[in-house]
Amino acid sequence: MNLFVCIDDTDNLDSIGTGELLENMMREAAVRKLGKSGFIVRYQFLIDDAIAYTSHNSAMCCTAQTNDRAAFTAFCETYLVHTAAEGSDPGLCILTDSDALDYTPLIAFGKRAQSEVLTKAQAYATADAFGSDVHLSEHGGTGIGIIGALAGAGLRAGKAEGRIKGKLHPPKDRIEWTTSEFAAAYGVERFADEEGNEICEDLLLRFELPTKLIYQKGKVTAVLVEKDGCRMPKPKLKKNKG
Amino acid sequence: MWSEENGKKIFKGGKESFDAAAQAAAKCLFFKEDCEEECVADEEQSCYNCRYRRWTKDSFLCMKGETP
Repeated sequence: MNLFVCIDDTDNLDSIGTGELLENMMREAAVRKLGKSGFIVRYQFLIDDAIAYTSHNSAMCCTAQTNDRAAFTAFCETYLVHTAAEGSDPGLCILTDSDALDYTPLIAFGKRAQSEVLTKAQAYATADAFGSDVHLSEHGGTGIGIIGALAGAGLRAGKAEGRIKGKLHPPKDRIEWTTSEFAAAYGVERFADEEGNEICEDLLLRFELPTKLIYQKGKVTAVLVEKDGCRMPKPKLKKNKG
Repeated sequence: MWSEENGKKIFKGGKESFDAAAQAAAKCLFFKEDCEEECVADEEQSCYNCRYRRWTKDSFLCMKGETP
């Protein structure tokens, strides 16, 4: 069974971040043979004084595969209870990943979370329509993390754009790559320019500086920039916040 | 570089003053780099990359810079 797993509001100013916690949780699930996970996508939500976020109001979502959804869910719940930071308000969402599901209401909820203040009641009402295909649970504090958890799962199900957790570091012994070689080495499914336009031709790249991948149009995407006449994976994703 | 509201330091440079944010962090005893996915500035030591900044609509609050 394929799933989306999203958590939010698990940290405080001195703890590990929510992305690292999700990574650790999925690693432990794999060790226990409860499930395997894919890459993690970060989703940014509204920055507003009315929302009690720690520092950036973002959620982290990954895909997962399991043969025992009940055991996997119980493990994630227990893991959050024991590892979420003191003073945090953790929420967990586990959503079925299936072409047979119409995610429209969840995608709409995710988009609303990026532009308006939402409530737990709205999250539960949205989740209820999906029955057993959505697990939504609070694990301490006010539990408002369920809002971001559900919103993040909805955005991921809708293939919304977000930054992929982690950096790619260039190997010391190689600088020049073709895009097809780079794609094969790093799991890249798509290349695009900074405006999001797809780059299809096989180009020569210089990979000299760490880069980040993004999830764009439902694919793992490397953004390419041109410098001194050469194409290269964009070294940083400096951008406005919130 | 900073203003004060309810005892909290607010960065006056907004979200695009990368040089000023790096200069402020260079002088700060509390700077702690945030996790990789939350860093937005090229300069590693920048208030924009600090674990103790809390983004607001227009800028950020320094959570270690409470004023008396």
